[in-house]
Amino acid sequence: MNKIHDAVADLHRLPGVKGAAVLTTDGMVAAQSFDKTMNSDVVVGLTSYLMMTTKRTLAEGGLGACSQFVLHATNGKAVFITLEDSYLVVVFDQFADVSQASKEVQETALRIRRASRLG
Amino acid sequence: MHLIQRMKVWKDLRRLEQRAREHPSPSTFVDLGQVYINLEMHDKAERVGEDGLTLFPKSTEMRQLLDCARRGLRGKKTAALRAKLTRSPSGKLFRELAQLFVELGDTAALHATCQEWSIRFPDDPGSWVVQGQAQLMNFYRDLAAREGHEAVRCLQRAVTMDRKDGQARRLLGELLYRIGAVRAAEEHLEAVKQLTPDDIELEALMHHVAGLDDYGNDIDALLQDVERHGCLLHPSLAAAPKPDGDEAMTRARGGLSQVAEITGVRKATFIRGSKALIKGAIRDGRDPFLRVVRVVAKAAHRFAKRLDIGNASKTVVDCDFGHVCICVYGDVLAAAQCDRGTDLEQVMAELQELVAGALHSVGESHE
Repeated sequence: MNKIHDAVADLHRLPGVKGAAVLTTDGMVAAQSFDKTMNSDVVVGLTSYLMMTTKRTLAEGGLGACSQFVLHATNGKAVFITLEDSYLVVVFDQFADVSQASKEVQETALRIRRASRLG
Repeated sequence: MHLIQRMKVWKDLRRLEQRAREHPSPSTFVDLGQVYINLEMHDKAERVGEDGLTLFPKSTEMRQLLDCARRGLRGKKTAALRAKLTRSPSGKLFRELAQLFVELGDTAALHATCQEWSIRFPDDPGSWVVQGQAQLMNFYRDLAAREGHEAVRCLQRAVTMDRKDGQARRLLGELLYRIGAVRAAEEHLEAVKQLTPDDIELEALMHHVAGLDDYGNDIDALLQDVERHGCLLHPSLAAAPKPDGDEAMTRARGGLSQVAEITGVRKATFIRGSKALIKGAIRDGRDPFLRVVRVVAKAAHRFAKRLDIGNASKTVVDCDFGHVCICVYGDVLAAAQCDRGTDLEQVMAELQELVAGALHSVGESHE
């Protein structure tokens, strides 16, 4: 569990990252690290809603499973990655370059996958 | 207030709350809100005002009550921010305080705050941006050349201090094109685009501005003209005549073909309200791709709104077969389903162009 928490905390230290969390598919938080200005409960709840809705609609449309979701909004960005039985969510500020941070996000996802298997 | 007085007030409050519940009318809500305001409980007065406005949306008294409660809340917040600033001054706190004075319309306090802000943080262009914003509000209300001139001066100063200040450049660009200095405005908007290439609203604004006539760069003369005639030369993007549904669809058709021609794109769609255009391997309007696009765009919109990060404009979903790319603004949506290995940047750029093109009106219908 500490390894997952460390991975999330490391991701939070990247420039432009406002916070990150790992949550189970039913919305339970495994690890999180957010700026003080962010309401982590809201992020987690909304992530659960967004990923469940996307997963269901893709399945109904016969488009398979969702592996990654990237969202750009006016004042922020967010990346969601599907892990085995959980999701990794990373929230960025509006100036962050998500494609540049993609490598670190993918590496963190890999670290979390390994830690979950070992744990 | 001593104990007996306080008990009397609470008793009155309970009575008024019960009356508002049992016999809701604008006057019962206003009476209740007024008591809360007298007790300095502006947050509760605001709640009463909001509840009342939900039931009586056309009531002027309700609006006045809500306005009064919010002014009280802002007043309290101002005092708290002042105290914080005295303890540990920072640019962020000065900005918050100055914005509150803008909302309260307290020009003297705003001026004093911005003066203090620029003395303590001489390298922070924020004080000039906020002052420019306040002058702009006055200019748009009264169309007085002096205020427009002041707004331009403040915003230009902010841009000189920080060439990458997107807010100052955008405000300046918007003012310049509206008074007729279209080419000068475009320079500022282009600079903002370099800073925020993903901003669809900005792109729509740039399309709108590109179709307007330029009346030169003599800002003083243009401002004097506006004051003399009592109206701005060009309408804002929101007020510009929108292309009607059919016109927008015709315009979108060409753009959608371009998206569909990108290697790897299987399906592409353009949706405006209840109308949809489709290209590629889509059989009919019941194709599941269309539903996926609508549902995902709506969920992303809700996510962004509730997280308070603005409007969700671009979404890319990676699935087993490839990607679903969605670009949305207002009621206009463009999306594509692509294979793995497709140039997503190109797809997103084309979708963005398609959406932005549908939002603006350059008067093509009049040409």
